[in-house]
Formats: sequence, C-alpha cells, structure tokens
Amino acid sequence: MATAHHDAHDDHHGISHVASAKVLLGTGGSLLFLTVVTVLATKVDFGPSINLALAMFIAAVKATLVVLFFMHLKYDKVFHTVIFVGAILAGALFVGFTLMDTGQYQETNIWDVDRPPPAPIGPRPISG
Amino acid sequence: MATTNNSDKWQDGPVNEPDFLNVTKGLKSWLITLDHKRIGMMYLWGILISLLVGGAFALLVRTELWSTGKTIVDQDTYNKFFTLHGAVMVFLVIIPGIPAALGNIILPVQLGAPDVAFPKLNLSSFYLWIAGALCLVIAIPFGGLDTGWTLYTPYSLDSKSPVLLAVIGVFILGFSSIFTGLNFLVTIHKFRPQGMGWFQMPLNLWAMYATAIMQVLATPVLGITVALLGAERFFDIGIFDPTLGGDPVLFQHFFWFYSHPAVYIMIIPAMGVISEILSTFSRKPLFGYRFVAYSSVSLALLSFLVWGHHMFVSGQSRLANMVFSALTFTVGIPSAIKVFNWIATLYKGDIRLKTPMLYALSFLLLFTIGGLTGLFLGILSVDIHLHDTYFVVAHFHYVMMGSTLVAFLGALHYWWPKFTGRMYPESLAKICSLGVFFGFNLTFLPQFIMGSRGMPRRYWDYDPHFTIYHQLSTIGAFVLGISLFVVVVYLVMSLKTGARAARNPWGGSSLEWEAPSPPPLFNFETPPVIRELYDYSELVQVEEYRWERRPATTETTTAAAETASAATETASAATEATTAAAETSEPEPTPATTTDEPPTDTQEGDK
Amino acid sequence: MSEHPHAGHGDDHGHGHHGSPFIQHHYDDAKHQFEAGKLGIWIFLAQEVLFFSALFVAYILYRHHHPEIYAYAHKYLDTKMGAINTGVLIVSSLTAAWAVRAAQLRQQKLLIACLATTIACAFGFLVIKYFEYTHKIHEQILFGKRFDPCVSSGGTPLLTKSNECPGTKSTVQWDFATSSPKEGSCFGDVAIDLDPKKPNVQADCKVFELTGSTTFQDGKEVFVEKGRREITARCPDPVFGRDLGLPPGTDPSKTSYPCWKTNHQPHVCKGGWYFTWYCEGDSCAAPFGGEGPFATQQACVDARRGKEGSGTVTECAPSHASGILVEYGDHDVREGVRITAECKAPAAPVAEGDPLEDKAQALALGQASLATEAPLTKAERKNALYAGPPPEHTNMFFTIYFAMTGLHGIHVLIGVFIFIWLLIRAIKGHFTPDYFGPIDFAALYWHIVDLIWIFLFPLLYLIH
Repeated sequence: MATAHHDAHDDHHGISHVASAKVLLGTGGSLLFLTVVTVLATKVDFGPSINLALAMFIAAVKATLVVLFFMHLKYDKVFHTVIFVGAILAGALFVGFTLMDTGQYQETNIWDVDRPPPAPIGPRPISG
Repeated sequence: MATTNNSDKWQDGPVNEPDFLNVTKGLKSWLITLDHKRIGMMYLWGILISLLVGGAFALLVRTELWSTGKTIVDQDTYNKFFTLHGAVMVFLVIIPGIPAALGNIILPVQLGAPDVAFPKLNLSSFYLWIAGALCLVIAIPFGGLDTGWTLYTPYSLDSKSPVLLAVIGVFILGFSSIFTGLNFLVTIHKFRPQGMGWFQMPLNLWAMYATAIMQVLATPVLGITVALLGAERFFDIGIFDPTLGGDPVLFQHFFWFYSHPAVYIMIIPAMGVISEILSTFSRKPLFGYRFVAYSSVSLALLSFLVWGHHMFVSGQSRLANMVFSALTFTVGIPSAIKVFNWIATLYKGDIRLKTPMLYALSFLLLFTIGGLTGLFLGILSVDIHLHDTYFVVAHFHYVMMGSTLVAFLGALHYWWPKFTGRMYPESLAKICSLGVFFGFNLTFLPQFIMGSRGMPRRYWDYDPHFTIYHQLSTIGAFVLGISLFVVVVYLVMSLKTGARAARNPWGGSSLEWEAPSPPPLFNFETPPVIRELYDYSELVQVEEYRWERRPATTETTTAAAETASAATETASAATEATTAAAETSEPEPTPATTTDEPPTDTQEGDK
Repeated sequence: MSEHPHAGHGDDHGHGHHGSPFIQHHYDDAKHQFEAGKLGIWIFLAQEVLFFSALFVAYILYRHHHPEIYAYAHKYLDTKMGAINTGVLIVSSLTAAWAVRAAQLRQQKLLIACLATTIACAFGFLVIKYFEYTHKIHEQILFGKRFDPCVSSGGTPLLTKSNECPGTKSTVQWDFATSSPKEGSCFGDVAIDLDPKKPNVQADCKVFELTGSTTFQDGKEVFVEKGRREITARCPDPVFGRDLGLPPGTDPSKTSYPCWKTNHQPHVCKGGWYFTWYCEGDSCAAPFGGEGPFATQQACVDARRGKEGSGTVTECAPSHASGILVEYGDHDVREGVRITAECKAPAAPVAEGDPLEDKAQALALGQASLATEAPLTKAERKNALYAGPPPEHTNMFFTIYFAMTGLHGIHVLIGVFIFIWLLIRAIKGHFTPDYFGPIDFAALYWHIVDLIWIFLFPLLYLIH
C-alpha cells in the first residue's frame, strides 16, 4: 500500500515522482527568460522566414521544457510520451496534407506581381 | 450477507448477491447509476429508439422515391427527410451503437474487471448523448435540417433550417464519444487481470481499443469544425465564406478528417464482435489471431490518411487526389486480411447456425461487397462517374448497415442472454434475420445498378427509366423495416416472457461467459480464471442452450451435471462460511499463471 | 502498457484497507487509481491538441497563402500585453506544478497558496484579455463581416462603412470586402486633389455642415436641408510627421473641432485605377501618394512595372469617391447631419481637358528635382504601408485571431473554475500524498493551456 513519506527529498516509494524545487524554479525561470529573448528577437530583422523559424524554434524549446519538467514527462511512463507525440503527429498530418492540397490552387490575391504562383503538379486537363 | 432473492428465478444468476438489474430498484437508481451495465442498457434503449426514428425517415425517403415527381412530399421536405435520416443514423445509432451500448455492457466483463476505469465519466457520456440527441430531435419541429448530414458549406451557412441547433447537438455528441473512447482505453490498459496480456485479450477488446484511439484523436476535429460552422452562421466570422476571404473546401477537409475515421469507428467494433461470434459458433479459435489484432490497430491508424477520397470532385488539387487515391488502396488491406482470417476460421469448423451466426455470415457477404465497392470508388477515373450517385449510397449502406448494423444485431442476440438473463425466441429471430438479409439486399443491390447508370443521390425526382430500381428498393426497404421492427418488439417482449438463460448458452470461451446471467453489480462473484484464448476443448453442451465447462478428466454428462450442482453448493457454502478470512485467502485461486481448473474444483479437492 | 496485478472483486466491498476515502471501490489501491487517472488525463490532452489543430491548420494555410494580411494586421495587436500574458501564464504554470509537489509532500499551506496564485494569475490573464478585446470591439477591429477598422494598423483614421468610430464622421462609406466605396457623395467632376508637385494647387474648397432631416420620396431617401454652417478649421494630417497642405503657420498639435481634411486614400474623385502607394528609388518619378487614373487594372499594373528604380508600389485599386473627412471631437454619431464641399477650380491656367487633371510639370530654374519633399526612408515607407487601408480579406486574420485566442480563453476560464473547486477541496483537507490525483491532472490540463499560448503568442503577436 502506498504510504506517505514526510521526507521532502525522498519520495521514490510514493505514488509518483516528486518534482524538485530546483527543477521547477529553473524551468520557470528559463521560460520567462526565453519569452524575453523571443520578444527581443523580433526587433532584429533577419528576413521574414528566418524570423518565423527562430520564433518557432524558441517556442518549441519552451514547449519542451514545459512538457518535460512541468508535466513530468521525463519522469513518467514512456507510453504517455507516445500518446502526446502521437497526437502532435496526427495534427501535423492534418496540416501537411491540407497544405499540400491548398498549395496547388492559383493565388488569387496578387501581392507581388514579380513572384507569380508556381504551376500546379499533375497532368494538364485535356479540355482547353 | 446479501440474500439471494433471485437464484430461484434466474437459471444461472448470481448466487450470493442480487444481479445488477435487481440490486437496486426504481427509476432514480437507474438515472444516477455508476454501473457500466446499466449505463450500457440505457444507451441501448436510446439507440434502439433512434434506430426506429432514423428508420422511419428512411421509409419516408423511399416512399417519396416510389414514383417520379412528387409522391408524398415536395423537394424541401424531402431534403429534410434524407438529412435527418443520415444525421440520426450516423450520430445517434451507428457511431455509438456497438461501443456505447454493447461495449459498455460487455467490455469490463469480458476483461474480467469490476467496472470501467471512470464510472462517473461513463454516466456523463450517457447524459451528453441524451443532450445531443435532444438537440437533434428538437431541431425537427423547428424545421428540421436540410443540408445533408455532411453539412457542406456554403449551403449550410445560408440554409433557413436550424443548423445552429443541430451542430450544437453534434458537438455535444462528439464529446460523448470522446469520453467513451477515453474510458475504454484506460480500462483496457489498467484493468486487465494478471494472466491476460495483450495477446491473450479477445479480439473484441482489440477492436474496442482501436476504435477508442480513433474516437479520441478524430472526434475533437469534428467538434471544432461544427463549432466554426456555428460561429460562422451566428457571427459571420468568414472562415468558410469566399466572399469574406474564407475557403469552403477547407470545411470539407476539416469535416472529412473526422468523418473518415468515423466510418472506421463504425466498422471496427463490428469486426470485433464478428470475430467473437464466428469463433464461438465454429467451435474453433479465430484463425490468425495476431494478424487480426494488428490489422485492427493498423486500420485505425491508416484511416487518418485517406479523408481526401471524399473530395475527389470538390475542387481538390490533382496532386492531393492522386495521393489520397493511392493511400485509399492501402486502407483496404487490413480489412481484406480480416475477411480471409474469418473465412479460415469457418473452414472445418463445427458450425452452429444460431441467430448470431446467421447475422455473422450475412456480415461476411455484405461487408465483402461493401468493401470492394469502396475500392471502386477509390479509383479516380471511376469516381468521377460514380461520385454523388446511388452507387456511393449503396456502398456506404452495405458497410454501415449491411455490416455494422447486422453485426450489432448479431452481437445483441449473442449477448442478450448474458445481460438480460432471458433468451429471445430463436425461430422468430432466425426468420427476422433472413428478412433483414433479404430486405437489405433487395433495397440496395438495385441502387448499385442505377448508380452506375447515372442516378444521382439526394435527388427528389428522377428520369423515368430508373423507376423499376427505385420501386424494388422501396419494397426492400419496407421488408427490412418490418423485420427490424419485429426484432425490437420480440426483444422487448422477451424481457418478460423469454426463457431464463443459462450462464453460457452458446458455449463461448471468453470471460463474460464465466459470469452469471445476468451478472451481479461488480460482474463476478469469484475472481474469474484466465484461460487460454478461444479454447473450446473443455466446453460441453449439456442442453441446447446450456454449455458447461468440464476439464478433460470428467466422463459422463450426468455425473458432470451432479458434480456441477454439488460444486456450486459447496462453493456457496464455502463462501458463506469464510467471510473475513475469505478476503485474504480468496485471491489464491487466481494465480499469476493460467490454470485449467475452475475455482470450484480446487475447493473440492482433486477429482 | 502495464498489467496491473488486479484481482477480480467478488465480494470485497470493504473500505477498511484504503488510506484515503477518495479511493474508488473498483481500484485496488491508491497507486492503481492514480495511474489510471494519469493515463486518462494524457489521453484527454491528446484530444485537446487535436481540438486546437484545426485552428492551427487554418492559421498556417492563410499565413502561407496571404502573408501580407498577417504582416499588416498583427500591428493591431499589442505585443506588450501579449508578452505580459505569456509571463503570467508561465508563472501560473509554475505555481500549478508546485501545487502538485506540495500535495505530494503534505504541505497544506503551500498547496493552498499555490492554487490561489494559479487562480489569480489565470484571472489576470483574463483581465488583460478583456482589455484587449474591448479595445478591438471599440475600434471595430473584429472578425469576418464585422471587420471595419476605424484606424489603420499604423494608427491613421480610416473611412469606415459603419461610421461608428470615435470622433469621426464621414460622408463616404468604404466597403472592405470589395475594397471600394459603397455610397456617398461623390462630387462629380470636382476633384479635391492633393498634388505634392505643386503645393496648394488644389481646388479652393469650402466645407459645409448641413443640418436637416431625411424623408422618403418615391421610395428613395432624400435629405432635406434646414440650415448650414461652414467648417473653417482644417485638421492637421500628421502622416510621417509632416503635414501636407495646411496653411502655413498652423500648429499640427492643436486641433480645433470640427475640422476637415482631405483623406489621403483615395485621392481623387475620378473613376479608374490608381496606385495606392508610392514608388521608391532616386530616379522614380512617381509622385507621393498616387498616380492615375488608368482605365484598367492591367494598365495600372503595367505602368507601375515600367517605373525606374526598385518599385515597391504594391497595389492598384479603384477609386470612385472623394475624400473629405470631417472630424468631430466627440464619439456621437451625428444624426441628421450631412457634409458637403463646394470647390472652385484653381485660378492658374491648365492645359486643355480636365482642368484638375494631374500633369507633369517642368522643372523651374534653380529647382533640382520635381520632388518637393525628400524621399521617404525605409521606416517611413513601412509606416506608409501600415497607414493605409488593410489589404483585401484582412478580416480573415482576425477571424483566426479571435477563434484561437477565444477558444484558448474559454479553456483558461474553465481552468479557473477547476482550480477554484480544487482550492475548496484543498482547504477541506481532501488531498494527501496518497490522493492528489485531481491536482496533478488539473495541473497537466493547465500546462497544456500554457503550452498552446506559448505557440499562439509568437504566431499572432510577434509576426515580423
């Protein structure tokens, strides 16, 4: 039967792993720091796609910290990670296939005339 | 100690405590129950009523199509008939059908567990189903729904019918489905007994597991899709409206991302119960167990990759069309593996043609037809001609009705004695199963023909040369409808007038047949013994609807019957005698490994 | 994938051997219940990820295909508020995770403090969100059909079709769905023209405010004038820090209401297609603010292409209406008031044809270039981009913005209620190291909510 240990440090006999204060504070602090970094990064102009990639990379790092430490996935059963990653993969599948499809449509909003949309993939229809 | 006030009434009910139907009385005890079996039964009544409602709409559709032009109603009303038929059947009957009704009743028992992991969540799922059903039903007097059950934009944005109310209902039903799937996943992970590893689980449980994966991953997308549709109707947010910058085909992507896995949510539980029924009534283990188990899960995962095949002619790009068509071919492979394994199970089996088996055999034929015609529709060039024709209608009725509903009826008859304690009238049931089979084929085979000849679906009027097909179809629909109605009637009547059922009327080998009929509140009076899967060697038929488990050493049936009754008395005496002590020593008969001996025999000493 | 050594419960109904009264009957022990609950909540979180996925799909699609909308529209969002919200949620995530630790270690007071802080932070998030939303509602920066901004993303006032913006009243209705004026008083051939090539060459105008009432004659609405007064003050038009066309000596910071000014978008009341932006480059001779009219959009595009230098002129838009904007200092929508302008052609002689048509003018002796102002810097060009009306279908950005932040906000609100319930239970002492599942699971839910915001913040607020 699970019994309670009043020792703040040793809880490996308890129901589940107890997060250490250092880890929690460290993760929280890193997250706040990274938030500042990501805001400052937008002030510098690397070009739109690089700025986006940088912002997403920092967001991914923050998300990993939250998931591993705040949500205990590092200390948890592997199957829980499988569930979470599986859901993200399903979402990525959804995005990928839909983007593949809509990317083929002709652009209808002419923003830059010097950069026409790419030709769609596939055989041309027979009719004119 | 609980008195056994019903062991004289049930043939094989629980000995030491009341069965779950009688443990508490009164309407309130049902409405706030946490017992999965009661929740499942409440679902069952709701689903059967919805089946009759959806079926009534179907008969109205087919009546209108008896002749060209107006037969009974005008076009707008006809649109409402087929929409409501579709919405009620898909969301209230076929998607919840086997998992929510039969799964809730049988899954924990078959697993050897006392209940599902989250009983309160289970009850919430049921009340969410009721709320969603009420939303859909209340939409009817407010003008019904006329967009087609697929709710395509832009019409669903402009329709004067109460789309908002209907999509609120669908949203709520989605969460009912998600919570049921969540419950089943955790139950199968956490409540399998020692000795039942993943590959010692009955295939029905594999099917429920695969279904639950899809319910949890796909249904939220339906939820957000209908929420966006509702927001668009109410607030003009513009996401699906091209005049405001939105994209109507995006709605179709969102909708079918759920609705394709949804059709596998419908069929995989059906495949699971068919595996059980075929095995039991062939007296043979299911052939290729691992292949069938893997194919259930792989079908669930592959189902997420093919949704674009519903959109071949909707303006989807050529690239996406080719990709989705190719992936659609792969999704037929696991289903084919299963069909081959089922047929191999039948081969050289000791076939018993009871009603569940008749439904299972119908399933084999009808599912093969439905599955193959799906492949035709997956071919791009063929689909250009067949899309939105009656060919599609016939295809999905063969898989949704000819397969899922037939399997539902088979499973209902199979497990009816277990959870009601009553037998249904077998001869009448057999006649009705033939009526269902005959009526179904008469309804939908002509639809393949007229679809390939160009009859479009959802049309109120048609070219006169299709009339003969429509009329055959309508006659078939009424034969089918009457048979289904009679099925519901005799099942309801059997609750009062049916013969008492034995613990194991069919000689099934899985754990639910070890439990009393009907089971007590927490399913088992003594912990069930985990045996080898699909092992029929010890099951002996004592009467036509009564099988008993004898180890290989016992000889005659009469001696076995005497021993069996003596063993039951000793077991009840033993359990009555040892109260507090039994709590610590009782776990002993359930060792870490499987054993061939039933608990009663160990208490009696060796034989 | 774990097998629990679970014995079937026959008649084992006793609760005596359970530590916490909240361990349910069908579970073997506290650990069994906790593990089942943990698995359950992770499956629920997987479902939540998929629930938001459709909105991320919509976001990614629109951003990929219409980046200009995102570049323009994100300036309507306040990055500072978004960053504060991010910080608030991170802190609340920390306190939620700490609450789990406190419950595991039987630190009752700390548990209550952490739960309370989480609730407070969540509340703070919602309050900031409330301010953001009400500001947008006030400025009509909404979703779909209701996108009708009063100010451009650079802050300059715009014509709106609903006339519900604070402090302005205009006679011309602008339809953003079709990017054209819907109705209004076009002054026919009389053009109010702002020509930087020749300061003050514009027609001499008087702006009148008419009071009266509307009646219906022959099924059409007719305005019956009862009186008029002239509005003599001209508003400063502080675009790029330079005001154009004010009488010399006017202090742009002192505005007296009501005042009138020409709207720089569009410029002239002639039919046809115009450049709506400007051309950069030293040798580019296009005037600031627009050139035209061209008969067709293609002609406009072709002409634009033919310009020297690196043209960043980006749009050709039709213009049919004049732009007199009258500003009132209050927020009332003035009923029964109409604005009209009476203009006289300039006295200076012009070539034959339309007396107000723009014509190229020769350099005068001693004049180095035709440009009367210095070319705009990159930053000023960017500001000009944001000063004008939104690109077509900018409403879609806000559809996605409100859908994503709204759905997220609903989840935050639900989280507030869940944590209040937990706080009450914690105060009652329900949670022990044996039974802290509800706190752990609610904290996991809360972390997913935080995680989604971690992605929403850069995607919506930090677009470059």
